[in-house]
Formats: sequence, structure tokens, C-alpha cells
Amino acid sequence: METLFNIVVFPGMFYVLAWTVLLFWFFRKFMAALHKRVGPSFNGPAGSYQTLFDLSKLLTKESITPDGVNPYLFSMMPLLAVIIATLPTAFIPWTPDVYVIPTQYGVLALVVLIGIEPFLLFLTGFGSNNKYSFLGGIRILTQMISMETAFFLAALSPALLFGTMSLGEIVEQSSWLSFLILFPGFVLYFIALLGLLEQPPFNIPDAEQEIVYGFYTEYSGTNYFLLKLAEFAEFMAVFAGAATLFLGAYKGIFFDGYIFFFLKMLLIAMLMMTIRASTPRITMKQMLNFSWSYLVPLSLLNMAWVLMAKHFILGVGL
Amino acid sequence: MQDLRKALSAHETLSIEVYKTMWLKVRIASEDLLAVAQTLKDEGFKAISTVSPTDFLEEDRMEMNYFFENYTTKRNCWLKCDIPRDIEACEIDSITPMFPGANWHEREAYSMFGVRFTGHPDLRPIIVSQDFYDKTPFRKDFDWDAHEANTVENIQQIVDAFKEEQEVNEEHLDASSSEMILNWGPTHPASGPIRLKVHCDGEDIISIDPDIGFVWRALEHLVTKKDFVGAIVAVERLCFMDNINSMVGYCQAVEEIADVEITEFAKWMRVLLGEVSRISSHAMGMGGFYNAMGLHTVGMWNMDIREYFLDFLESYSGARIATAAIEPGGVRYGLQMNMLDELQKALDKFDATKDDIKMIFINNPTMKVRAAKKGIITAKEVEAFALCGVVARSSGVKIDVRIDEPYAAYAQVKMDYVVQKEGSAKDRLSTLFGELEQSIDIIKQAKRHIEAEIENGNFNPTKDHMVKVPKKLPKGEAISRVEWSRGEVLMHLVTDEKAKSPYRLKMKAPSFNHTMMLNKMLQGETLSDIPLIFGSLYICQGDLDR
Repeated sequence: METLFNIVVFPGMFYVLAWTVLLFWFFRKFMAALHKRVGPSFNGPAGSYQTLFDLSKLLTKESITPDGVNPYLFSMMPLLAVIIATLPTAFIPWTPDVYVIPTQYGVLALVVLIGIEPFLLFLTGFGSNNKYSFLGGIRILTQMISMETAFFLAALSPALLFGTMSLGEIVEQSSWLSFLILFPGFVLYFIALLGLLEQPPFNIPDAEQEIVYGFYTEYSGTNYFLLKLAEFAEFMAVFAGAATLFLGAYKGIFFDGYIFFFLKMLLIAMLMMTIRASTPRITMKQMLNFSWSYLVPLSLLNMAWVLMAKHFILGVGL
Repeated sequence: MQDLRKALSAHETLSIEVYKTMWLKVRIASEDLLAVAQTLKDEGFKAISTVSPTDFLEEDRMEMNYFFENYTTKRNCWLKCDIPRDIEACEIDSITPMFPGANWHEREAYSMFGVRFTGHPDLRPIIVSQDFYDKTPFRKDFDWDAHEANTVENIQQIVDAFKEEQEVNEEHLDASSSEMILNWGPTHPASGPIRLKVHCDGEDIISIDPDIGFVWRALEHLVTKKDFVGAIVAVERLCFMDNINSMVGYCQAVEEIADVEITEFAKWMRVLLGEVSRISSHAMGMGGFYNAMGLHTVGMWNMDIREYFLDFLESYSGARIATAAIEPGGVRYGLQMNMLDELQKALDKFDATKDDIKMIFINNPTMKVRAAKKGIITAKEVEAFALCGVVARSSGVKIDVRIDEPYAAYAQVKMDYVVQKEGSAKDRLSTLFGELEQSIDIIKQAKRHIEAEIENGNFNPTKDHMVKVPKKLPKGEAISRVEWSRGEVLMHLVTDEKAKSPYRLKMKAPSFNHTMMLNKMLQGETLSDIPLIFGSLYICQGDLDR
């Protein structure tokens, strides 16, 4: 019964859907404020039904499969993308009690599941039989290879510090001191996260002004909805990863609870949106240069820093 | 001017006269064109503003008009010559090898009037769609009604031509390479109604062929169907973003032929309205620049400011965008003082926001990384391709019609050229913002002046705005230049005896020249640079296609 609850309600399908709807609405409202606009305002309190309406619209619209594509590849990928993007929720300790798969290899599972996602998106671009989609697919692959190296290295730093791969244990051992030690790692994780989630200034794979909508170009209706759902589920996985690894997940100031986890994720989302509202896109070459000349070397340095801090500050033998 | 006269005396000229102090009007025989053009080039007239044929059906001749400009001395030369009207014999030497900026203008003359330019490197039809090929729509004997009766066939012709092109356009490419042809537009998110045929190798651009004409409304033909006042609604549709200044240009030409002097008050109103319109255009131009890099905040913030200026236009003319507020003889409406309060609100709004915009977006480090070295135009290229406006001034070329050949009340306005040095995309953004601030300053001057003169009783704001312009104009022709938000707009107006409507109106608009540069600027760049460079050139398809 509890397994069923976990799968269907929390932290399973319903939770992911609710999160998507809420985050979508929140992005719109927050962005509107930064843009000096109103944002959605007609439907429901502060336009909060708008996203629901949008979702139902997308679900009921015709999903067009273009001529000359492999229909199985074309329609399977969005579904697979959603499933893969939702899986990490099972490995994350949302509250002290809800921790569906308390494995020893939580960090590894998180990193691997997040890392597979761009491959699927590449395949959607590859399978669309469209030049713009294909360019988008190639771009996402290039970006993934260069950004995920830094992402993994940054995500491993808490595991190094606490000497465990279990997310639950990492959260339990985390403290204000560990937060300070891991802060450089958090910054690196956040920058790599922007690249991984295709957010400005790294929104190169779906650069609207350059290659239309990248790998999304040919998608419409339900398939498009699924891809968007996958995108927002991945937002959640990556934000939750950041909160768990660096910010102490559900740990709060006076009491522990899911609300703190949620606020931490929202904080990262707001940071991301503010950067999005003030930073133009850079080019592929600049991204590659930035990633391999600065981000990856810095991530390696960060690992050295964590090891040294572990030895000299926490006094744990290597 | 004397030097030029001396230099031209070596050639046989049919007539030569000084026109409007800045211009030398020269009529030559068509055989001498290349030799005279060479002399002009040697004398420093390196820019050709436009090539404009006029079809005189009854006199059975085609008159070619060339407008040469000297960017250093600001003196200009208007060259005229006659060629046979008969389509077989309608031929003249091309000056494109000498003046690369004439390239598209000659192609346009070829598509619209059937003038063949011998020696032109690339004489294909431009602007017109396939159903107009070889039909010379702007000749006086072209039957528009008969053409439009076959709308379905015409559309089929366009569709067939497009399909055929799509089938063969990649045939000559190496199948084993990564080369391909991308259609960047006309339904691309950042393109607007223009199609760039991008020949690229992966992400690297090999060449670009712009395909324009998707919003061709034949405005130059449309005005000949309207009376002189009605024509302003066609002229203002050159581009909706800055409609006032294009109307000013047209009205000045009409007033010159009618020999009417407008009142001082109307002149100042033209300055005031023109600068408001320029702000509304520049605000969108800055937004367009950043939109091209995926950042919409500037566009939104500027749109917010722009609304206040549109409020003023609305209070003045009743319309926010297509105001039709300038008429031959002055400005259309009188001024009420509460309208100036609206303007004051807009000025306050701009002053309250400009520091934020400057800090966050004009000095944006990521933007500089992106744009400081891209899309560089040298001062030489500016002259060769007759670029103007923001683009020219960003390359350090000091041209501005408002200063060089002052019209309306600009002679009394204190202003200076807003220039940058490098001519990169980033510099064009800085110039845009600099000109926004300059326009605000001019508006403040104009507002102060108008208020003071009304106070003194020199201006009567409800009566002085118009003087009568006769409905029928005498035979004549005039050119008038204005500094439009994107650059120089040159109107060449020809009227017939007792004319009720223009016989021919040529509108030279800046985006046409700027788009000509695209291939040159984008070769060897990557796909990511197309929107950036395209956006930085501040192109509007409205005045590109007309």
C-alpha cells in the first residue's frame, strides 16, 4: 500500500505533475515581475489555473508525426524521457520518512539518471528528420559532454566529504560547517546545472532565434506535453539534487520538514530565473571554451579543496 | 561644389545646376554614365544612395536618376540621364562594379521597370514574387487589374517555383559532406518576413542569399493612386515603428513642388513628433537586439517606456501607431497644452528607468563577450555600401541628415553626432541607446521652445499648425531627405501637370542597403551569429520591401 502511495502520489506521478504545474506557473509569474509585465492573471487566483488549461490544451491537441520519421522512435522518446526524468525522485530523501529507495549508491543513481536524459533528447532531435532538430540534437550532445563532467565532479564533492554515497546519510551528516566547505562545490554545481537544464546563458540547444526550437521543433500536442513534463521533472531532480547534496534537504531552522526542502528548491529556481532575465545567450564555442578551460579544472580543484578540508578542518584521516 | 563643377566640365553635360544648396543636379547622356560616375568617385562621392528610374509613358523615355553622396563634404550629386523606354532597348551600363552599394538598387530597377544593366554581376529579380518576373509592375502601362484577376494562378506559380527550388537547391552539394541549405525564415522565430538561404557546413556559414519581398505592398505604386494628402497613409507604412519621419520626408517634397513654406510652429511640431517616433522605434530596436540573443527583458522594459510615448501620440492624433499626423502644409492637428503633460510623463518615465537599463544591459558583460567582436563594419564599407543611420555612425562615420542638411526646425536644435568607433554589433547597441538619450534631449528642447513661444504669443497652437497646400500641383520634381530612425530616407517625388496625385514616388529606405551587407558580414561565422548580426543591423522588413 505504501509503495503504491509512493508511486502514484508522493513522490511519484501526482507529485511530479503538481510540481510541474506549480513551477510552470511560478516561472511565468516570477519572470513577468522581472519583465515588468503582469503574467497570467485571468484564470483562477493570480492566473494559477492558466497552466492547468495549457496542459489540458496540449493533451487534447493533435500530436503530429511528420512524414519520413520513424514513428516509434519519434513517439517513444518523449515517454521514455518522462520516465527517466521522474525516476530520481525515488532516490531522494524528501522528508525524514519519505525515502523510497534508501540505497547506498544514491549519489550515483542521481547522477546517472540525470546524465541519461540528454541522450534521449538527442534522439528526439535525431529522429525528427528536420535540419533544425538535428542541429539541436547535436548541440545538446556537445553541451552534455562538456557540462556533465563538471556536474558530476561537483556532485561528488559531498560524497567525498562525508565518505558515503547514500543521500540519506549525507543529509544527516550535513551541518552549517559542511555547507561552508561545500559552497564552492555548490556554485560549480549550480553553473553546471544551468548548462545541463539548457538555461541562459547556456540555452544553446533550443536557441529559439538560431535553430527554431532545437529538438522540440517537430513536436506538438501530447508528445510536446510529455517533453515539457520531462523537462520540468528534470528541473525537480536537479534542484532536489542540489538541495540534498549541498543545502541539507529537509533540515530546517526550528523544525525539519518538507517545507524547507521546497523552499530551498524554490530558492534555486529563483536564482536561475534571475540569471535568465538578465543574461543573453553565449555561443557553442564560448560554452566549450568556458567549460573545458575553467569549469572542469575548477571542479577538480574543488575536489582537492574538499579533501583538504576534510583532513584539516574536520580532522578525518584520508 | 566648384571642384565638382570643374571636374565635370571634362565631360559633356546637357545641363548642370545647383539644387537646394547641397545638391548638384546634372543631366548627361546615358553613354557617359560610367565616365561621369568614375569622376564622381574620384571626387569623393563614394556612396550611392539609390537608383530610381521614372517611366515617362507619353514622352516615351525612361529617366534614370542616380543620387551620389559625399560622406565627408556632405555635398551630393543628382545625376539624370534618359534611356529608351522600349523594353528591348531599355539598357544602361551598370555602376555596381564601381559602387557595390548600387547592386540591389539596380536589381530593383530591373524587376520593377525592366531596365537591364549591362555588366551587373548578379542581375536577378528582387523583391517581386515569381508571378511578377519579367512583367515590370511599376511601368505606367502595367495592367494591375489583369494581373490580379489571376490570383490563384499567380499563387500557384509562386508555390511551384518554391517547390522546385527546394528540390534542387541541395543537388549541387557534396552528398558525403555535412553541407546543407537552411531556410532561415520567413517563418523563423527571429527572422521576420525575410528568408535567408543559408548555405552552411554544420554550424559554419559558407554563404547567405537573402530572399526579400515577403511584405512587398508596392507602396511606391500605391501612392500614385491616391491624392497628395491620402498618400501619407501609404508613406507612413514604410515602417510602423517610426512613421512620423517618413511622412515628414514626403510632405517636404510636396511642399517644395507646391512652393509652400510651413509655419515655424509646424516645423517645431515636426521635430517633436519625429523624435517621439524615433524613440518608439529605437526602444524596439534595442529590444530586438537582445531578443536575438534570447533575452527578452530589455524588449519588455523598453516596451513599457514606449507605451508612455505612444500615449502622447494617441493624445495628439488619436492613434498610437499609424498616426497619419503629418500632412503637406504642416501637422494635422493643433496642440493642446494637456498633450504636453502626457509627454512630460513619458520623459519622466524614461529618466527614471534609463540608469537601470544602462547598468544592466548596455554594460552587460555577457553581451560584450558575445557582440564586441562580431559584425564589424569598417568606415570604408559604410561608404561603399551607402550605409546610414545608426549603422554608419557606429563605425565612426559622422553623417546625420538632421545636422548635414537640416530640415524642419533642426537647424535651431542643439545636437551632435552620436558615434562609436569600432562598428561592431555592441557598438550599434551603444549608438542606439546614445541616440535614445539624444532624442529625449531634443524633445526637451523642442518642448521648452514651443511652450516659451506660446507663452510669448508667437505661436498659436490651434491655428498655426497648417497652411493651405493646393490640391493640384504643378509639374515638377523634388527630392527630400530626412533622418529616419534607421537612417537616411530619400524621397524622390515627380508630379505631372495639374497633378492630383504623385506621378512617381521613389522611397529609398535604409534597411535595403543594410540587408545587402548580410552575406559579406556572415561568411565564415556560425549559425549562432545570424540572429545577433541581423538583429544588430536594425533592419525592418517594412522599409526593406516597401
